[in-house]
Amino acid sequence: MVDLAAHNLRPTPTDGFPSPTSDLQIQTENILKARHPSIPSDSGTSGVLQRNSHLQFLLRNLIQGFPARYTSQDASQPWLIFWTLQGFSVLGVSLDERNKKRAVETLLGLQHPQGGFCGGPGQAPHLLPTYAAICAFAIAGGTGEDGGWEKIDREGMYNFFMSLKQPDGSFLVSYDAEVDVRGIYCLLAAATLLNIVTPELVAGTPEFLASCQTYEGGFGSASFPGWALNDDPTPGEPLIDPTSLRPSLGEAHGGYTFCAFASWVLLLPYINNYPTYRPSYPKPSINMKSLLRWLTLMQGTEIELGGFKGRTNKLVDGCYSWWVGGAVGIVEGLLASDGKQSSHVPKAEAEKNEPEEAWDDVDDSLYNRQALQEYILYAGQHPAGGLVDKPPKNADAYHTLYDLSGLSAAQHRVIPNESRKKELLACWTEEELSKDKIEPLRQELFAFALSWLEEEGTSKFTGSNRVNATHPLFNLTVTHSEAMMAHFYNRKVPSRYKASK
Amino acid sequence: MPRIIGDGGEGPLLFSERPDWADVTPIPQHEGYNPIAPIFYAPEYKDATDYFRGIVKTNEKSQRVLELTETVIRMNPAHYSAWQYRYHTLLAINASLDTELKLMDILAIQFLKTYQVWHHRRLILTALHSSSPPLSDPSASPSEPPPLDTTPKDFKAAQIELAFISRVLMTDAKNYHTWSYRQWLLAFFDDARLWEGEMSFVERLLEEDVRNNSAWHHRFFVVFGREQLPGDESRESVLKRELAYTKDQIALAPNNPSAWNYLRGILERTKTPFSNLRTFVEPYTKTRSSEEPKEDVLDLENPAPSSTAELPCVAALEFLADIYEDESENKENAIEIWKTLANERDTMRKKYWEYRIKELLENA
Repeated sequence: MVDLAAHNLRPTPTDGFPSPTSDLQIQTENILKARHPSIPSDSGTSGVLQRNSHLQFLLRNLIQGFPARYTSQDASQPWLIFWTLQGFSVLGVSLDERNKKRAVETLLGLQHPQGGFCGGPGQAPHLLPTYAAICAFAIAGGTGEDGGWEKIDREGMYNFFMSLKQPDGSFLVSYDAEVDVRGIYCLLAAATLLNIVTPELVAGTPEFLASCQTYEGGFGSASFPGWALNDDPTPGEPLIDPTSLRPSLGEAHGGYTFCAFASWVLLLPYINNYPTYRPSYPKPSINMKSLLRWLTLMQGTEIELGGFKGRTNKLVDGCYSWWVGGAVGIVEGLLASDGKQSSHVPKAEAEKNEPEEAWDDVDDSLYNRQALQEYILYAGQHPAGGLVDKPPKNADAYHTLYDLSGLSAAQHRVIPNESRKKELLACWTEEELSKDKIEPLRQELFAFALSWLEEEGTSKFTGSNRVNATHPLFNLTVTHSEAMMAHFYNRKVPSRYKASK
Repeated sequence: MPRIIGDGGEGPLLFSERPDWADVTPIPQHEGYNPIAPIFYAPEYKDATDYFRGIVKTNEKSQRVLELTETVIRMNPAHYSAWQYRYHTLLAINASLDTELKLMDILAIQFLKTYQVWHHRRLILTALHSSSPPLSDPSASPSEPPPLDTTPKDFKAAQIELAFISRVLMTDAKNYHTWSYRQWLLAFFDDARLWEGEMSFVERLLEEDVRNNSAWHHRFFVVFGREQLPGDESRESVLKRELAYTKDQIALAPNNPSAWNYLRGILERTKTPFSNLRTFVEPYTKTRSSEEPKEDVLDLENPAPSSTAELPCVAALEFLADIYEDESENKENAIEIWKTLANERDTMRKKYWEYRIKELLENA
């Protein structure tokens, strides 16, 4: 056997021309190299998901609370709840009824009287905490008095969303606040889960998202609208000529790329079924080829243990396991449903929940899933519980969730399932579809979002490291996504277990 | 540590200890329930935010609200509601926005990585320099901003702003908010004299760090963000200039994905075939041999890799394969390169290179 490990632990070439970027890169590689699976470690626990210590970390935060340094997250309280609850879900643990009730009560205290959710009680409503709160409701809430779902003010939220809409199809994240694609993702994920998407809400939004794609292939935070404003606007339609130049503000970035791309995919039922807001405008499009290239380029090399970076020439960070690794998973799903990437042939027997002894090389991944899992397991875990950006940083609530979600994305292939989609579309009668002219859009949004299922027999993990699959567009389990959407679209969803046969 | 009221030695008083705030009823955060995942605040923070909720409830907009929101912001610069309320208060009481901008100079440096410091700055600049500030809160009723000023002062203000941003970038050359703010500023003021200085600014930053991707992106924004920059003779000459610059940077440090991505970006943007660059790229795809022939003729159009370059360079191999992919007689060569990348040169991306091979074969 060739000593591949030794061969591959090459430092990133600096071409004898060092710069601040390459200096920092080398320092980081030296730290990460020591964690490489091929290097013996004294702890003996390397490569094993320290489930119990992570559960303890999450439980301590949830029940006892967060130390004072989390004051910086005081305007992100729904996020602290979502990160923690979803961490439990990925680890396969559900809350007891008493704590679920407390969570629901806390979340309801964050709803703004005029709609939308706030970063904390008495704060202003904001798109980001709105997403986090709705997802937390999906996990801890439900129907009935204590479940809280009926207490979500959907009409108020819709009006709040509409009041943030900008002439270029984008949204402010809050009144007089910034525009960026994080806010759009948060809005669309919440609106899709709660069944409040309308053509008026999203007109011009796909064009805006497309304008944020940079020459590198990933997406930046926003774009500049000024030069594309229409001289001759029609009332009620976006004021932008989408054929005009709208340069992206900020370089391609993992977080913005996930948000813009997941938004785009959530909107596909609208993009595919609705005309552009002026017949003369072309259908909006994004460059999938350059996107895929950029996403895969973000995976660090062997010496970086295959973690993901968030920007070209920046350092790997565990959270991009989800933002970038997860986004590759979405591309894989689209390619599979387009038939461009032939779908994996399921094994004859039902999925065995046995760990694979060796990594089976024959899969449809577009990135190195094994290496990403190794980054999280060997470099992402803090010995005291919780997960991190990279060693020697401390664990925090944010990295704990996005490292775990990234681990999940690297283990499971969750892609659109055509037969499932047909079943979901059949949840509507012809009569219901003709009753209201936007009902077919609701039907498509529902069926498309919930058609993403784990492909049988394709999960990849070692030892006892399996975590739950999570929906690539929401970062909720499919079970939680399905239950919440079934409620708000008022549908009885057929069981998944017979569907996949 | 508990403080004794009025002992005078322990820093500023809490709002709850101050007679001038006695008329405000503080509102505690959680009333009537036991919240999950609470944060253990310092007493000073709890005090200030209790009073903040108090004034929001009564909709007070006054000078002392500026002091209160500043106190909250200094303890938690991500408190967007405090920023938002502060902005509305500034407009409502006709406070000096120039003074506000000076305070922002300090806070921006101190809290570089927060969204809000940069956005607030943008709001202030917008309010100072346009006739209609972008107000979206229907409940807000700000007084009219100052009338539109003459262009020379706007230019001066923007210039001062650019200089400020440059100073910030000296301490954090890749700060995302700072860069996108700079791009917004240029587009918003859209003054030829401002755009003019940007190329030398970018080049200075790339001289310090040729791998600074933020600077490369900024270059793209400056060159292609506008249809036509004043002073550009023609798009062709711009492309020529950009190609020459980028090739030089690649020659210095070939394993720099930022420069290669920029090269691809300008070619795609100008619809220039990658194959035009074949002569330039080929030397970067070869292993350096000891008995390399001495370059007798210096080809200025196609600078050779530096003597310390580590070759072959993955990005160059990828580039060459992309050229081959489009040439019917060279498709096999493209596949050969992708195999080399998958199995030897860029093993982490094995799956991606195999996908490229499969895609080419399927489309053949």
